Amino acid sequence: MHSVERGQVVLEARGISKRFGEVVANDRIDLQLRAGEIHAVLGENGAGKTTLMRILFGELQPDEGEIFFQGQRVRFHSPRDAIQLGIGMVHQERKLIPAHTVVENIILGHPDTGTVLDLSRAEHRIAALCERYGFRLPLQAKVWQLSEGEKQIVEILKALYHGARVLIMDEPTSVLSPPEVERLLHSLRTMASEDLAVIPFITHKLPVVLEHSDRVTILRRGRVVAELETKQATEQSLASAMVGREVTLQVERIEVPIGEPVLTVDDLWARDDRGVLAVQGVSFEVRAGEILGIAGVAGNGQEILSDALAGLRPVERGRVRLAGVDITRVPVLQRWKLGLGYIPTERRDVGSIPDFSLVDNVLLNYYSEPAFSRRGVLAASEARALTGQLLREYSVVAAGPEAPARSLSGGNLQKVIVGRVLSRRPRLLIAALPTHGLDVGAAEFIHRKLLEAKRAGTGIILISEDLDEVLMLSDRVAAIYEGQFTGIVPAAEASKELIGEMMAGLRRGRL
Amino acid sequence: MWNLLIISLAAAAVFAIAALGELIEQRAGILNVGLEGLMLLSGTFGFIAAKTSGSYTLGFAAAILCGAVVGLLHGFFSITLGSNQVVNGMAIWILGFGLTTYVGYPYTGPLGLSPLPKIAGLPPFFLLAVALAAASWFLLYKTHLGLKLRSVGENPSVAEVSGISVVRLRYLSVLLAGVLVGLAGAVYSLVYNPVWSYNYLQGWGFIALALVFFSLWNPFLVVAGAVLFGVLWQMSLYPELLFPGLFSRYIWRTLPFVITIVVFVALSTRWFSLRWGATKPAALGVPYTREG
Repeated sequence: MHSVERGQVVLEARGISKRFGEVVANDRIDLQLRAGEIHAVLGENGAGKTTLMRILFGELQPDEGEIFFQGQRVRFHSPRDAIQLGIGMVHQERKLIPAHTVVENIILGHPDTGTVLDLSRAEHRIAALCERYGFRLPLQAKVWQLSEGEKQIVEILKALYHGARVLIMDEPTSVLSPPEVERLLHSLRTMASEDLAVIPFITHKLPVVLEHSDRVTILRRGRVVAELETKQATEQSLASAMVGREVTLQVERIEVPIGEPVLTVDDLWARDDRGVLAVQGVSFEVRAGEILGIAGVAGNGQEILSDALAGLRPVERGRVRLAGVDITRVPVLQRWKLGLGYIPTERRDVGSIPDFSLVDNVLLNYYSEPAFSRRGVLAASEARALTGQLLREYSVVAAGPEAPARSLSGGNLQKVIVGRVLSRRPRLLIAALPTHGLDVGAAEFIHRKLLEAKRAGTGIILISEDLDEVLMLSDRVAAIYEGQFTGIVPAAEASKELIGEMMAGLRRGRL
Repeated sequence: MWNLLIISLAAAAVFAIAALGELIEQRAGILNVGLEGLMLLSGTFGFIAAKTSGSYTLGFAAAILCGAVVGLLHGFFSITLGSNQVVNGMAIWILGFGLTTYVGYPYTGPLGLSPLPKIAGLPPFFLLAVALAAASWFLLYKTHLGLKLRSVGENPSVAEVSGISVVRLRYLSVLLAGVLVGLAGAVYSLVYNPVWSYNYLQGWGFIALALVFFSLWNPFLVVAGAVLFGVLWQMSLYPELLFPGLFSRYIWRTLPFVITIVVFVALSTRWFSLRWGATKPAALGVPYTREG
């Protein structure tokens, strides 16, 4: 491999198209990546970013179009071809083997690994890479023992170890706390400056893009709609280009009188699937008309907390009261009747049954109501009427109430799930990552619906990994780190820096 | 007493060699529950080849070849066609059971060759089994090929993006497994009990399969477990040697199977998956298809 000059085009895509059945994921995309630059590729979910990156990495074959590496036309039959040329990729979902050690994961498949493994030599080489780019990692640990942020570093190290000159990262900031994001970007800068590595960098976090990239390409519905120097962009211009219309990034906050406590949690402990105590002594209360935001990096116990509150996971220790009634060991249906509503993180596995129609999915929350079930016989016409009404009220794009849930896009399905819960007028709503992975438009819609529920007096727990979302909507903000709250701060005092450091466990606020 | 141990080790050799083969392919994510059928087929064809030619070498060669071919057949169904591995494993068992009953019937009776000599007073194939266990351990944990095989069994899509051909490695694993299981079939029918009769294997293949789970996918524990099962089996034949009058031979005979059942129940408990879950290859039995 010959060396490249800074600014020279290293990897180029020309006219890339890719279809999945009826859906055009990539439509004649052109993209040029230059040595020494951080090139952000922006786009809403479903805009075709991930498909494009996987084509550049040889994981998918384009239907049309050509890829050039340092001016030479190349064809990738599998990732192996791309890796050999020096292209590395860090996927959004981790591509690591949890049962193997960090070193084993990194050397896997490397041509110089030899027949008999020399783990100590490999470890020295990896330690040198860590030193150079400022990463800290326990190299002998098994990957399942690492945090999400550390796993991402393992993937970066793996790409570098395999000689990457082009590093493709899919949503690298989504699993990191704000201080970790800063550290990662610092390391990426070092790579871009010293190594002339090209780092395309895909995210929908606009401030990160503005601050840290050199150039931006924006995709919308599989097409390139803009390519510009970051210097010329503003947050508003990027957002509008992504969505294709003017968007309001800020939702108007509403102040409503805060009422009586609807949920009181005392010293709650719960275990995850591996039996580890993932929630360790959390206490808080939520009042009527209040939004309590819980900010945290993925995997710090927030899913376990929300499942335990919803009754989907046994509570190890502690007490939960809903409107004065002890619900610590009360079955799920009883909780629903007492006025609890839950929007789970997994909208396709927990929030809905993909093969069921929308009517049946709506019925899943209503089957025990007398109006929808008479002596055990479901009232089909009422259910259809309610579903139709929800679809109109939430402007859901669907073939109709009988359409199977799997036929809906993530955003439309989430609207149905949110509408289903809110139409019951819950006293307490637990919204776990309600806008995770949704495009800007759908997220904005769901934010407005949450605020409407707040105005109607619902107490809301908003669990989110997106700090901007939490700060925008919440009356009080809690940060969760390793299963414990590092503080609960009123919105007026909650700065991005403070909550960011609390999410990283670096600082504690009042409890 | 000593004789009992020696003959137990001879039985253990059969269990261990077959289980090591199964262990290698399970490490790569392929589950073959048709071990019994594979051993019946290779044992029978090895027996026929040895009896007609009068040569042990030809007998073993025929058995290994048969094991490799049937192993690859299971691989073709599991890897290329991506079908349910338990179902096609059962098909291999039924095929082995039916076909050997038909083909082997005319050869019913003893092999009629002079027995193979012992090495240092020990059954030679037990020594081979220990050597194979060490070799499997070295292969799986100390070589790059082993790392690749284990990765394919843990998470094939990770292996694929690391530039590894999942299909090629899984075929390699079923070939290695077929050779070892084929050899084990011949060790039974040519050495341990060189008499062909209807369904002569009596479920030993299933015990070998259980042994792989029992060992938590560790080659050395496979050998230890094989010795345990070997001793139990011999106890069932000569119960009066150790504990005269305690239990009838039928209870001793049932014991390996009872233990197998208990082990499987224990393996499927929540307690086990919390405590030892990580030792099981995560993609065991899961077909892999590439996208795009």
